[in-house]
Order: sequence, then C-alpha cells, then structure tokens
Amino acid sequence: MPALSTTEKVDWLDLYRVMQRVRKFEQAAFQLYTGGKLPGFLHLSIGQEGTSVGACAALRPDDYMASTHRGHGDTIAKGVSVQAALTELFGGASGVCHAKGGSMHIADFSQGILGANGIIAAGVPIAVGAALSAKYRKTDQVALAFFGDGATGCGPLHEGMNMAMLWSLPMIFVRQNNHYAESTPRAEYQGIPDVARWAAGYGMPAQKVDGNDVLAVYNAVAEAVERGRRGEGPSFIDSETYRWFGHNIGDPGTARPKEEVELWKTRDPIARLRQKILALGMASDAQLDAIDQQEDAAMQQAIVIAEAEPKPPPQAALDDVYSDRELGARAIKGLRGVSP
Amino acid sequence: MTEITYREAIRDAQREELERDPKVFLIGEDLRDPWGGAYKTTQNISAVVGNDRVINTPIAEESIVGAALGAALTGLRPVAELQYLDFVMRAMDAVVNQVAKVRYMSGGQVTVPLVIRAQGGGGRSSAAQHGNSLEAWLCHVPGLFIAMPATPYDAKGLLKTAIRMDDPVFFIEHKMLYMTKGEVPEGEYTIPFGVADVKRRGGDVTIVATSRMVLYALEAAEELAKEGIEAEIIDPRTLVPLDEAAILESVHKTNRLVVVSEGVERCGWAAECVAMVQKCAFSDLDAPIERVCSLNVPLPFQPDMERFVLPSVADIIKAARLTLGKV
Repeated sequence: MPALSTTEKVDWLDLYRVMQRVRKFEQAAFQLYTGGKLPGFLHLSIGQEGTSVGACAALRPDDYMASTHRGHGDTIAKGVSVQAALTELFGGASGVCHAKGGSMHIADFSQGILGANGIIAAGVPIAVGAALSAKYRKTDQVALAFFGDGATGCGPLHEGMNMAMLWSLPMIFVRQNNHYAESTPRAEYQGIPDVARWAAGYGMPAQKVDGNDVLAVYNAVAEAVERGRRGEGPSFIDSETYRWFGHNIGDPGTARPKEEVELWKTRDPIARLRQKILALGMASDAQLDAIDQQEDAAMQQAIVIAEAEPKPPPQAALDDVYSDRELGARAIKGLRGVSP
Repeated sequence: MTEITYREAIRDAQREELERDPKVFLIGEDLRDPWGGAYKTTQNISAVVGNDRVINTPIAEESIVGAALGAALTGLRPVAELQYLDFVMRAMDAVVNQVAKVRYMSGGQVTVPLVIRAQGGGGRSSAAQHGNSLEAWLCHVPGLFIAMPATPYDAKGLLKTAIRMDDPVFFIEHKMLYMTKGEVPEGEYTIPFGVADVKRRGGDVTIVATSRMVLYALEAAEELAKEGIEAEIIDPRTLVPLDEAAILESVHKTNRLVVVSEGVERCGWAAECVAMVQKCAFSDLDAPIERVCSLNVPLPFQPDMERFVLPSVADIIKAARLTLGKV
C-alpha cells in the first residue's frame, strides 16, 4: 500500500482515467483489427496499464520517454493524442506519424515521446542519448526507457545501463516485466530470475514494484525521477505485470497456461485502483462510471473520425525521407521515375 | 592557401565547428587528448574545447550511435566516431533502423542533425576485420547522405557542411589518406553535397573514382598520358546524393568509362554507377564500361596478398586501355 501522501502529488482519478483511456484504446484496436479494418501488426498492452500510466504520470511533458513495439499504452500515457494515434493505426493521413509509422512506431516528439520501436531494446540507447543531451544542456529533464522481457538479454540494454551509470545520467530504466519474451517463458531466456540484481551490478539503485499497482509504480518512478533531477544518476525499476493477450494478434494463446492468464486478470490494475478510490471515499461508483463512460464515448468518437480520415496519396511515401528537399529529392530519385 | 594533411583537415573541421556552435559535440572511443583518437583525428580538440564536449565512450558501437541519435533528436548536433568502418556492423541496427528512419517513421516530425564518421579501406595489412570498404552497404540505406572525400580540401569542406546539415550523414574517411597532403584555404569554406569534382581533365576516357582510388586514378592517368591517352577523373565526393550530371557530361565527351571503387566488386558501388550510366548515356558509350574493384574475397593479412586483392594502379591502366580497345 503506497503512502497516502501520494494523493498530494498525483490525482488518483487522473490515473484511473488515463488507464481507462489506454484500456479502451486497446480494446478498440482489437475489435478494429479483428474486423479487418487495421493493416499491419498489433501488440496489445491490456493488463499493463498500471506500469505505463504510473510511470508516465511521474514525468513532466518535457521529459523524454522511449517505448517498445507494445507501445500504445506508454505513448498514450505520455500524452500522444488518442485521435492521432488511432488515426495512425488506420493509416490515415492525419495520423500522428502521417501513416508512415503505424502501431509499432508511434512517436510524438512534442510530448517528449522518442518513439515506440520495432526493434527490441533499440529505444534504450536513444533514451540514454536524450538523458545525455539533458545533462549537456544543463536542464533538469529526465529520460525514461521502457523495455520488456525480450530486452533483458539484449546488448543495447546492458550498454545503455553502463553508459547511464558511467555518465551519471538522469535516466530511468523501466522493465515491463510481463513474464514472457514473445512466447518464451523467463526460465528460457534469463540467467537469473531477478534482473533488479543486474542493476545493482551496474551500480544503480533498483526497485521491484507491483506493476499492477499504479500508485506503487508512480511512487517508485517519481523517486527515480527526483534522483535524476538532482543529478544523482540513473535508476532501475522492475515492474511486474502481465499482458492479457498473446504476443500479438496472431498469437493463438497456446504459449501460456489458461489458469495463469485468468489469475492475472484478477489482478487488473484498473479494478484495483477503483477499489482503493472507493475504499477511501475519494469518489463514488457513479463518478467512476461517469469517467468510464466519458472515455468510452471519446473513443467511439475517435473511431468514427479515424475511420473517415482520408488515406495519404501513395506518392506521400516519397516525403520526409530527408529534411533537405533539394538534396533529398536527388537522393531518392530512381529509375522508376518518381520524385517528390 | 596552406598545405595540411587529410588528418589535420578532419581535425580542423571538427574543432572549428565545435568552436562555432555549442550544440556540436564529439562522441566515440578514445577521442580525448592526449590520445586523440585511434587515427589521431580528434587530437588537440578536447584540450581546447573541454572534455564535456568530447565524450569518450565504452566500446559499444550500437549505443554510441543510438545515444548520438537520442542527442540529435533533443536539440544537439553530435559527431559520432566509429573507430573503424568495419565496426559499423556492431551498430547496424542503430544506423539503419533508427538513425536513417526515425524522421520518416515519425512522418517528418524531427530532423536528425547527426554525423557518423568512420575510416575504412585496406592498404596496411589490417586484415579482414579492419580494412573493409562498406560504402555500398550504406548507400543502400534510404535516409542517409554519404560523403567519401579523397583530399584534405574536400575532407574539411565536406565535413563542415555535414555537421551543419539537418539530415544524418555517414562520413567515410580512408586510413591510407590521413598522411596525404593538400592545399586548403586559410579561412572558412564549405563544400556542398552532391557536387562532383573533376580531378583531372582529359578527353579519351572517364575514370570515376572514390576515396583513395582517386589518388590511384591520378597515378594511372599519368602513365596513360605517356601512351597518349588522356583520362578525365571525376570524384563524386558524395555518393548520396550522386552528381550524376557531372559523370554523364564527362562520358558524353569521352564515350568511355572506368569506375574504380575499393569495395568488393559484387553488388558494389561501381555496379550502381555503371547501371546509372548505361541507362542514361547508352548511346554515348563506345565500349563496355569497366569496373575496377576489390576481388570477391575477404581482405587477407599478408601484404602481397592484400595488394593482389585491392584494386591497383595497374588494374586501372589496364581497364582504361580496354575501353580504348588496347589490350
């Protein structure tokens, strides 16, 4: 149980609202995808809202965040517009990445979002560079890198932890510990069960938190953020959570025991916060239901708008390769005779 | 004008840009003084601008490039050094999937003012893991500009331009050029990307050459002149974008072309250049285009074997004569 003083720092109802926003976005994405309306891949984060929302609530808008292939929750929590993200999933021209990125590459630099990333652990060094930049520019910004189980055996994570410690960077490593790397259980990809011990080996403080307790995640990350702002270096947070769905939409769900999935559904981070809010009398059932309905209505409206958004003309594929228009046009000119 | 080495040109360009713009910083392995880089291309820089602007890193190429990208996306203008071009293999995801694509994948939200410097090439028995010419791999990546200077003048002017550009530039130096000398202006100058330089005028055969091969081509041209063959030597200086017009203009005049590139022949940069010319200037050509590249084997250690595998002046002379029907 987190200290009640959390209420002074963060609005529990806001946390609840944003977790619902993520949940409804993912549920909508699932429906739309299985209905044949979204192209590409889809990696759902349902069940992990406590980690995404708790961590990002501890960041300022001008702090940096790098996410993963499972990045809808992280990016919505950091502030990407739901409309722009959903339109991106549809491949609409007004999507947040103008339909060039899609589900795995949602980025909104105006919100400090350095990008979801299709390559495991690749966002970590980028976030380290953003933290280095903050230190170089003498700001008090911090950078947070989310990564999942698949990244724990990956070089860039370990390189990044070493660099962040070496340069005493304002950096927070948040492992979204959902127990599986794609289909592979932890015992088959990780030499020790507890990777927080690795953090100690690199010399940085580590905390294990219940990732389905949004307040616990918030508190742990907020403490790490304050350390970073004070110039005391990086921190590592191992946030234990679970994804209710398979690795992606194509995953038939045979990799994990049904009982395990069902058990984790009883630890729903949204339901848990709701119970706490009710127990403390911070809001009534009716007030929370109203939040649910507002978020649901907003999502339904976003779907209607996203679906109606025009797709970019195919020739838009030639834009934004380079920022230098003249040299860029020469660089992409080819025998098929198309140019921007 | 003043005469400096290619190494000094690289150093001067970096130091001048560091002094001009506080957003510029260097990041890589062994860069700081007194060591000043494995090839001394950053010597007397940290001593002048300070260690906080010349960052020594662990040997972790993927994260060197990744961190440089993170800094480039958040308001700085990093110049990252990979000690050997061969080591880009350790950084390939960062270079190809991240640096080159982040602007595109984000729908143009960001610019990426990032220079990645590396030196490649054979010639000093550095064997198969320290002497590769990998420019063709990098030219294959949309989103990068590629510079590959052959002279101190070009090296300094192009590097200064690269540091001021808002797109990622892969800047390829050659380890055997660092000691070569050439004239540069006393004051400030830059060289635009996408503009080739005619290194020698001639009307009988065009030789397009890059990096150290430009010097070989110039030597070959002196020999060819003794036989009455005047070669015109074109150095594209930047491979992306390529100054196609300069090459085509020369071929229009000479009707013959030799392309010299140090990378291995198969799927190499020369093949790309040949494909462009045969499509755009087919009717200008009086002979098949010749390529002079490394043999399709790894680079061997032993000096005689290495010389055998790398393109030589004699190979260029032979190729030029072939285009003129002289065997």
